[in-house]
Amino acid sequence: MAELLYRSEVTGIGELVPSFVAEGILVFFGESAPEELHEFCIMHKVEHQAGILDVGDVIQIDEHHLEVLAIGSVANENLMNLGHMNIKADGNLVADMPGDVCVAIGELPPVAVGSKIQIIRK
Amino acid sequence: MGEYKAVRIEKGYGGWGGPLVVLPTDERPLIYCVTGGGIHPLAQHIADLTGGEVFDGFKSSAPFDKIAVAVIDCGGTARIGVYPMKKCLTVDIHATSPAGPLAMFITEELFVSGVKPANVIPID
Repeated sequence: MAELLYRSEVTGIGELVPSFVAEGILVFFGESAPEELHEFCIMHKVEHQAGILDVGDVIQIDEHHLEVLAIGSVANENLMNLGHMNIKADGNLVADMPGDVCVAIGELPPVAVGSKIQIIRK
Repeated sequence: MGEYKAVRIEKGYGGWGGPLVVLPTDERPLIYCVTGGGIHPLAQHIADLTGGEVFDGFKSSAPFDKIAVAVIDCGGTARIGVYPMKKCLTVDIHATSPAGPLAMFITEELFVSGVKPANVIPID
């Protein structure tokens, strides 16, 4: 049975988010993030959080599914403490940067205010 | 009026950029900590050595022009560029290099990474 590790809802989209999307990056931050970060990130409100993100888990953004291929050494710490996650559509099997959560190369799903984010272990 | 001392902050193992010289002033007193889990020991260490005022960016916000140095635990994408873009001296605890859409703002004059307490050196 699938296990729900994380669930949140998008509450804001910063003005500069499209420039990150253009480079294949989605940057999430929890609502406690300092104001100066808001324009760069997708703000979301964490509703459920259990366990540690791992390779093979699936990040679901509304009806779109992204399989996690690699995780940087501080990505989990970021997610747990700050609601912060950098999803990179770089196809890497080893994360370039310590904060990265790597998924397959391809177009990232659209994210809007009200989008539901879930992380699921199959 | 505070009494402030300068420190030189060098890159740590695997790090990039710097060295930076940080000297808080009455106008820019803040050691601005934007890390998970409260004030990071490195931010406290820089505050202790410089006489700057440690400030938790996740508890409240401060104007950029009050920041002597920002201390981040960025994994390499967002925070790494935000503070350099605003011309704030920035210290990343993690050993990152310029990357992401904000990479152009991340210069050796503004940014240093992989920093451990031993890389913060008082200047007499």
